[in-house]
Parts: sequence; C-alpha cells; structure tokens
Amino acid sequence: MKSLLLHPLVLASTFLIPAMTIAQVDRTKAPAPGPAPEVHLGGHKSFTLDNGMRVIIVENHKIPIVSAQLRFDFPPVLQGDKAGYLELVGELLTSGTARHTKAELDELVDSLGARLSGSSDGLYASSLKKNFPALMDLVYEVATAANFPADEFEKARTRLLSQVQARTDDPDQIADVVGHSLTYGKDHPYGEVSTEASLGKASRDAVYQYYRYFFQPKQGYLVLVGDITAQEGEAMARKYFGLWKGADVAVTKDAEGHDVVKDLGPVITGGKQPKLPGKTRVAFVDRPGSAQSVIKVVFPVQLKPNDPMALQAQVLNTILGGGVFNARLMQNLREDKGYTYGAYSSLDADRWCGAFSAGCSVRNEVTDSAVAEVLGEIRRIRTAPVTADELALAKNYMAGSFARGLEDPRTVARFALNTYLNDLPEDHYASYLKRLDAVTAEQVQQAAVRFLHPDSCTVLVVGDKQSVAKGLERISPTGRLQDYDANGDNVRPDPSEGATPAPAGMTAQDVLDAYIKAIGGKQAVGKVRDLRIDYTTSIQGMDAALTEYHKEPNKYAMEMKAGSMLLQRIAYDGGDKATMKSMMGEKDLVDADLDEVLQSAYTFPELHYADLQYAATLIGVVDLNGAKAYRVNVKTLPGGQFDEYYDVKTGLKLRRKENKTQEGGGFLQVVTDFSDYQPEGGVLFPRQVKQGGGPMAMTLKAVAVAVNKGIDGAVFSVE
Amino acid sequence: MMATITATAQTREIQFTEFDLPNGLHVILHEDHSTPIVAVGVMYHVGSKDEANDRRGFAHFFEHLLFEGSDNIGRGEFAKYVEKAGGVLNANTTGDRTYYYEVLPSNQLDLGLWLESERMLHAKVDTKGIETQREVVKEERRQRYENQPYGSILPEVLRRAYHKHPYQWPTIGYMEDLNAATEKDYREFYKTFYVPNNAVLVLAGDLDSKKATAALTKYFGPIAKGKAVPRNKVVEPPMTGEVRDTVYDKIQLPAVVQAYRIPALGTPDFYAVDMLNRLLSNGNSSRLVKNVKDAEQKAVFVGSFSLPFEDPGLAIAFAVANMGVAPDSLEASMDRQFARVREELVPEGELAKLKVQIETEHANDNGRVSGIAHNLANAYTFLGGADKVNTEIEQYLAVTPADLQRVARKYFMPENRVVLYYLPLNQKN
Repeated sequence: MKSLLLHPLVLASTFLIPAMTIAQVDRTKAPAPGPAPEVHLGGHKSFTLDNGMRVIIVENHKIPIVSAQLRFDFPPVLQGDKAGYLELVGELLTSGTARHTKAELDELVDSLGARLSGSSDGLYASSLKKNFPALMDLVYEVATAANFPADEFEKARTRLLSQVQARTDDPDQIADVVGHSLTYGKDHPYGEVSTEASLGKASRDAVYQYYRYFFQPKQGYLVLVGDITAQEGEAMARKYFGLWKGADVAVTKDAEGHDVVKDLGPVITGGKQPKLPGKTRVAFVDRPGSAQSVIKVVFPVQLKPNDPMALQAQVLNTILGGGVFNARLMQNLREDKGYTYGAYSSLDADRWCGAFSAGCSVRNEVTDSAVAEVLGEIRRIRTAPVTADELALAKNYMAGSFARGLEDPRTVARFALNTYLNDLPEDHYASYLKRLDAVTAEQVQQAAVRFLHPDSCTVLVVGDKQSVAKGLERISPTGRLQDYDANGDNVRPDPSEGATPAPAGMTAQDVLDAYIKAIGGKQAVGKVRDLRIDYTTSIQGMDAALTEYHKEPNKYAMEMKAGSMLLQRIAYDGGDKATMKSMMGEKDLVDADLDEVLQSAYTFPELHYADLQYAATLIGVVDLNGAKAYRVNVKTLPGGQFDEYYDVKTGLKLRRKENKTQEGGGFLQVVTDFSDYQPEGGVLFPRQVKQGGGPMAMTLKAVAVAVNKGIDGAVFSVE
Repeated sequence: MMATITATAQTREIQFTEFDLPNGLHVILHEDHSTPIVAVGVMYHVGSKDEANDRRGFAHFFEHLLFEGSDNIGRGEFAKYVEKAGGVLNANTTGDRTYYYEVLPSNQLDLGLWLESERMLHAKVDTKGIETQREVVKEERRQRYENQPYGSILPEVLRRAYHKHPYQWPTIGYMEDLNAATEKDYREFYKTFYVPNNAVLVLAGDLDSKKATAALTKYFGPIAKGKAVPRNKVVEPPMTGEVRDTVYDKIQLPAVVQAYRIPALGTPDFYAVDMLNRLLSNGNSSRLVKNVKDAEQKAVFVGSFSLPFEDPGLAIAFAVANMGVAPDSLEASMDRQFARVREELVPEGELAKLKVQIETEHANDNGRVSGIAHNLANAYTFLGGADKVNTEIEQYLAVTPADLQRVARKYFMPENRVVLYYLPLNQKN
C-alpha cells in the first residue's frame, strides 16, 4: 500500500503520465462495462423446533452485529370498534414483564447498546455480538412473559390519542390513512382507522389477550442474522425457544365459528377482497391553507406474491413509477413539467390483499393537471407496449437492486422468511435474475391491463379545497368531489345514503313539531321564561362543572369551571356580539362561532329555525342504535349544516351531528347524543348529553334543572 | 479475552488508501469484495454557507442542476446511464458540503468515474433545465418545509440563532433568491467551487485499487486545477442572552424547541456535547425520554441532537406536548433535565451505557459500502483525515463525567439558546 501513498508525488513530478492518459480516454461516450460479476445469493440454515417454531439462521461476519427477529404468522386481524389497539401491542411488549418493569427493561436494553422493538406480529432486536447473548435473554423474556402493565397501557394510549389528534395536521398521514380506508374499505383489516372513540374502547386486557392468543410457537419464526455461527444460532434457538409452549388461552366459539377470547371478543381475521369503485371517483380532504395538494390514486389489486405475474407486475411498476428516476411519472411530472419534487407509484403484492397507489405532492395551481397526468400515464401503459429501452432499464435496475440488497445479510434472511410465509417456490429467489431477464414488453402490457384500473379507481386529494376544488370538479368523472374528513369518514354523504324514505307527505317541520309536542307541547314550552341547567362532567380526567343559562327571548350564557378555576365563559345578551373568556384571554366571537351562539341562545332552537333562516329537510328514516329515527338535515346561513335525529316512536331528539371546520384544517365531526329525558316545569329535558369527536369528548350529566327561577342579568353581559 | 476482542476490532477497521492527483483532487479507495457492487462518491466542499446573502439556496439548487448533463451527456441522460447500468444515484447538500454518489454493479465502475468526471469537468445546463429545476426545488421546499406540521422549525431556529453567519438561512434557501438567480451566477459558482482541489473522490466496494487508480486518473487527471477556493470567514459572535419567540403553525399539539449554540464539528468539546445529547435522548432510558415522555408524560415525542456543522453549530432539543399539556409545563420538565446535567456529575455506569451505544453505532456504520464511502469523504473533509472513520470513536470514548458537566455548564445555558414555542394557529389572537 505504500507505493500508492507515494503515488501523488510521482504524478506531480511526471505530468506526462496524465497527459498520456488523456489520449486514451474517449469522453464522448459512456465506457463499456466489464464482464458482469456473478451474484451469489448466500445460504441460510433452517430447521423446526419441536413446538413448531421455524428457525432461520444467516451467517455473515462482516460487521460484529447480530440481529434476532421473531415473527408470528397469522392473517390480518379485524379490530372492529377497538380499531387502533394493534398499534399499542408493540410498545407494550417491551413495557414490562413478570421480572422487569418498563424502566428496568429500558435500562437493560440501552446498557447493551441494543435495539429491542415490538410490533403487533413480533419483535426485532440487534446488538454487538458480544452483547447478543444478554440481549437474547431479554428477547425471550419479552416474547414469553410480557405482562402489559395497566399504567403503561394508559400512558401508551394517551400518547397514541395525542398522535391520532396530531395525525390530522399532517397531509401525508391524512393521505395514508384515508387512502387505505378508501382502498380496502373500513371493514377490511387494512382499511380500519383508529380514532379517539375506538381507542377509548381498547382495553389493557384486550391487548394482553391478543398477545397471548397470537404469540404462539406453532406459528412463530425466529430469524438470526449476522456475526453468529449456525451452531451458535441453533444452540441459542433451542436454549430459549425449544421448550416454549406458548400461553394457554381458553376460547369458545361464536355462531359464525370464530374463536371468542375473554376480554378480546371474537377473533376475526382476513377480509373479503375489496371491490373497485366501479367508476373513478375524486375524494377530497380539505386542509385549508395547504401549500401543496397531496395526490394519491389508489385501488385494491388481486395480486399475491406467488402469482405467476408478480414479477411482470414489478417490472410494470418500475417503469411506471417505482423508484427509478427514469420512471414515466417522475419524468413527466417532475422533469418535464416541474409540478413536483417527486412522483411515484407502488403495486404491492400481498397474501391477503394487494394494492396500487400512485401520487405526488404538487403546488395548488397544477393539482387538476397533475391528477390528469397521473391517470393519463396509468392509461397509457395499458394501451401500448413499453419501449425496449424502458424495459431494459427497468430490468437492469431491478437486477442491480437485487445484487445491492444482498450486501445486507438480513436480505437473505428476508428471502428465506418470505419463501415460507408466501408459499413461494423454493427457487423463487435463486431463479429471480433468470426470470427477470425473460420478462417481455407484451407481458408488461398484459400485467398493466390485468392490474391497473384508471377508470375504476379512487383519486384522493388532500389540500386547500378553496384553491383547487373547481379544477378537480371539472376532471372528476362524476363532476363532483366526495368530501372526507381526516379519518376517512364521508363528511357530506349523499343525503339519502342509508335512509329509507319517510312517510309520503311528511316534512321536516312535522318532525320538529312532533318533537315540541313530545317534550311538553307548545304551550308548556312557551311558559319557559328562563332556564338554568347545571351539569357535571369530566374533561381529560379532571372533574368540571358546566352551567347553561337561558333567558327569553334569546339571552344566553355558559360557564365551565374546574373547581374554582374558570375554563370557559360565553356570554350573549341578545344583541349582535358574543364574548368568550378562557385561560387564553377574552375575545369576541365571530363567524361560525358566533352563529353557533346565536343558535344556542334560543332555549328551544327547534322553534326558531325559520327565524335563523335555516333550511330543514327531512332525509328519511334511519337506524340509530336500534331505534328508528327521522334524519333531518339543517342548512345554516353561513354555509354550514348539521343533521338531527328524532325518535320515530317518542318524537324526542336523539342525536345531533355536525362537521366543524377546524382552524388548523380538516373537519372535526361532533356527535352529540341526548338521553334520559326527565320533566321539569312541565317540559322534558335530557339529563344526559354525550358529546364525542375530537379532543373534547365528554359526557354531561344534568344535576339540576331550574325553570323560571330567575337569573341575574349580569351573567349575560358582554362588556 | 481482552486481547482477542481488540484483535477482532482491529481486523474490522476500515482499510483504505488515499492520495492526491496533481490537480488537487483527493482520492480515497476502500476495497471490499463481499458483494459485487461499488460506490462512487464525490464530496465538494461547498454548501449553503458559501452563498451570497441574496442567493440563499443556491448551493442546493446547483446540486439539482448538476444532474442536467454535460458536454457529452444530454439533458436527462445522467440518471439514465446509471439506472440502465443497474445502479442508483443521488446527492444531498448541507450548510457545509455537497455530496454526489452512485452505487453500481462492480463491472460499471468506469461508468461512475466517467459520469462524475463529466460533472466536474464541464457540466452543462440549458434554460429548460434551469426553469424546470427551479420549479422542482420550490416543490421540494413546499413539501418538506411548508406543508409539514412543525416543518419550519429549522428555518425559524436558524434565523434567530445566527445573525452574521450564513447558517442563518436553511439549505433549501428562499424562493425569491432562486427566482433572482441568473445564468452568470451558475457559471461563477461552478468555476469557483466545482474544482478538483475542492473535492474528494471516494471509491468503495468490489474494486481493484490498482486498476481503479489507473481508471480514475484517466478520467479525473485531465481536469484543470481551480483557483484557491474562497472561504467564508464570518465568525458569529457568542449569544448574549436567551432569544424566545412563538411560531403559529397548522398543528394541534404544541411543541417546544430549544436550540443551544455549540462548538464546531471535530473540536474536543463537540464530542462531549454530542455525548450529552445521547445521554438526554438516545434510547428509552435516556433522561429526556425516561422523564419528560415516560414518567411525567409531558410529551409524545422528545429528542435532542447536535447539528454537526463545520463552524459552531447547534444542539436542538425538540418536544411535542402530550394532549392537554401546556408548553411552559413541558419546557419546565425539559429544563429540569438540562439543569441536572449541569448540577450533578453523570454516574460512570450511565456513561458506560453511552459508550456501548457509540460502539454499536460505529459497527453498524460500516455495514454498507455506500455508507463507508460517505463516512470516508466526510472524515477527510471535516474531521482532519479519512482515518477518523476508525479513530473518531476514541474521541467519544475519552469523554469523562467531568467533561459532560463542563460542557453542560458552558453550552447548555439559558443565555446561550433560542427557545421557540410552536402553538396552534387558533391560539393566535
């Protein structure tokens, strides 16, 4: 090596050497490649323990690191009304065991300089070789004896709730969450959305039982990779997991034959292949003030990893937008048009349900043009074969990626694991390069026709609706946009959706009249001159008291306190100004906030929709928690709207649903349920008011209702 | 036993050779035949701190333009050559340097050399290229900074933490300066900074050093040496008091950012500061994570990291409040941990934990040839020599509890920081 170190001196004194070399280099064309290097796949060792757990070991001594992956194989789990609990499993796995608290485990892992992280289907750990035996102690302990402490569950849930809240600020996360729910449907495990309400239903016991039920050796894989010999690995696997039996979980069966686990409920896995939308639809999530639109074109695909066309599908996606700079989407939308920093597509094969997604983030002005270009590229690749040049580039790139991937020994382990999980032919990866080489342009087009559906897909846009809606409506095949909130709920559904028609001739006014009659009749209601209701509630674990004051014709005040601390006070004296006082200071209410107070100001607003210039429409009859209810849609003057549900049998109001535009962007759906109506002064008032949605979900219990007892006018003062 | 471990560690050192070409180009070669691939990297010692204050973002914009082609490579062909050969390519820019790289099958090494030498010798960009990349960079800015919650943190911190030094603007720059840039600016910038005497070429992977030296000499040797490269010598005066401000963003959870001015990369104090940041936020048992996030439940996320800048940089602590937690209560919780490192010596056991973390990280750093290539280039350019890829770890391991306390008292002081509260827009009155 010494001669090389002297090299510069030699060169410096004999400038003829570089001069000579100049003559030899032809800069005008790319140098020819040398003979292609051979790509060695590298081997692995695999065997099964007596308890059914399969062990895969890949030896590679390049760096002194060893990793262990524990993976349990089972179909995706439908979480139902507890959606989101799966996201807690991973964190809780490493949050305490029979032997160690979370703090102790954290300390042990960090002291080894190690990584130990859980997920809903396993664990991953890695460390220096010298610390690996100690790390395996922890892997074993966590895998077999995690105890999901209740306090750690609550902490993790609170953090996840915060993240669910924060998720609605991030356009990329919104696009991911809503994109999945629109691809697979919310009734498919891949399309479920965790919300504040669903996380509220998750329990420590359910998560713990999930872990006990699914973390079983018979469906387990242990993958050891790195600076470890096969013998060492095998000895370790046998020492730790050889005798592991798994938890003994008692199950019963429900009518559909699902296992039912105590605290977890019926275990429903898998899901029906989602349908294509039939006709391309444009879904929109409003995020006012967005600097860009996030665009995603999505649809489900029937494509399993062992599909004979899986490799052709990959070549197809590489040419369309799968990671290469020369892909059509990137070249068109970035390099030709300058619309975006990057445009990509993915066509994922999956045992349970495959999916396509293509998209980019673009400035507001070109949102509709960008959508048109993305759809155009998807159409184009179906209608004409790709060029020989494109095919060669994609194939070479994929072959290169394959070779590059082998630099990491975990790739070899992943190949082995995939072969088992996806039921692939044994030589699937060994024959990869040969099979890749054989892919033709015709096959790529066949794959495009089979897998891509530009005319039956969902175009999702997250952005500033005001700036981009018009253009998008023009290119939407239906001429309109479907509005969704950040959780993938349709915020302005087709009014007739899910409703059966109301009796002929019946109007919204009839429903409102029936309500007034039900609570005591016009006469009794008319006698109410003032009203005070005291509620108790709990806000994020803190006890609070809320009092509402009404004085006819339309004075209103509301006060919320925690102990003696004032949380919020709203006052309105019937004029054109309302004020709000909170810990953030005092301010005048304007726009939608003011309108809401004007509406609340009426003791019985249902009598005043006409005065407020609201337009009420009877949509039909719907099922609401087992009762039949009339759904009335009310459009308010500033362009807002809400829905009310009145019990067909009793006439009482059961629910009010409103989508509030949030200042930070997006919608917040506020659902208020009324129940436990009891009389006071000849009129029925709901004693329980339950408000869900958003960070302020709470249940109000009316502890005192006072009618015509007199109210000091000072509470309504706006000065 | 100890002897064996040391011997093992030594065999895993990164072996390399290095030399200068007569034109000043520094060359580093690392052979590793375990996978038939090779990484080609060129690091130019130019970043956003070399920009004029009315051309902010220029170095990064220029990085985009240098993929446009050369006298011998047509517009858009650069990436095509690489991908058609089965390789990947990319580049990135920081305040201090611009790095370009390809990872290719090992039989395509010459292609990488040709491409990078074309880029250094006579890169070319036409009007369509300039106009398109101007739009692309604007979209990059919108996507990464403007349309992301908390995305403006770095620019907001930098403009309050620096007033003289060009670190006061982010690498991505500002739209108005990118709009103002002319073709003459590009020519000047290229001539000044994209010269062999301002660059290091690293080849790492399945190569034969002798053959590679011959080949690279062929391609890079003829490139003329440039003039001495001008260096921006602005020294930012020390902070004289805490800077405190509020930023309103499209967010729901408030966040607290504390940015402390720290010494430059490669100085002894830098390593102690970096260790201190790990003590605070590396791993679940680290002090901020364990206390602020876990025990006190003030945050959903908390982290602390140092910006490794060539001139004195920043250590930034960042926390997003848990639901219902006010920013001042979150900040108080963070401050308690900073006060603790100033007031109490870090126990030896806790320091030992940091050292094994560093050792593990060091081993992981050498897993891929692309990473090794970058680390060699970085060590040569900023740490005083390529051999720092093997020896820099000693500077971490030499840090003592007294060092940690000393740097905590010197740098992690309220009067040496910028504090920003990120609050939801609807709290702006």
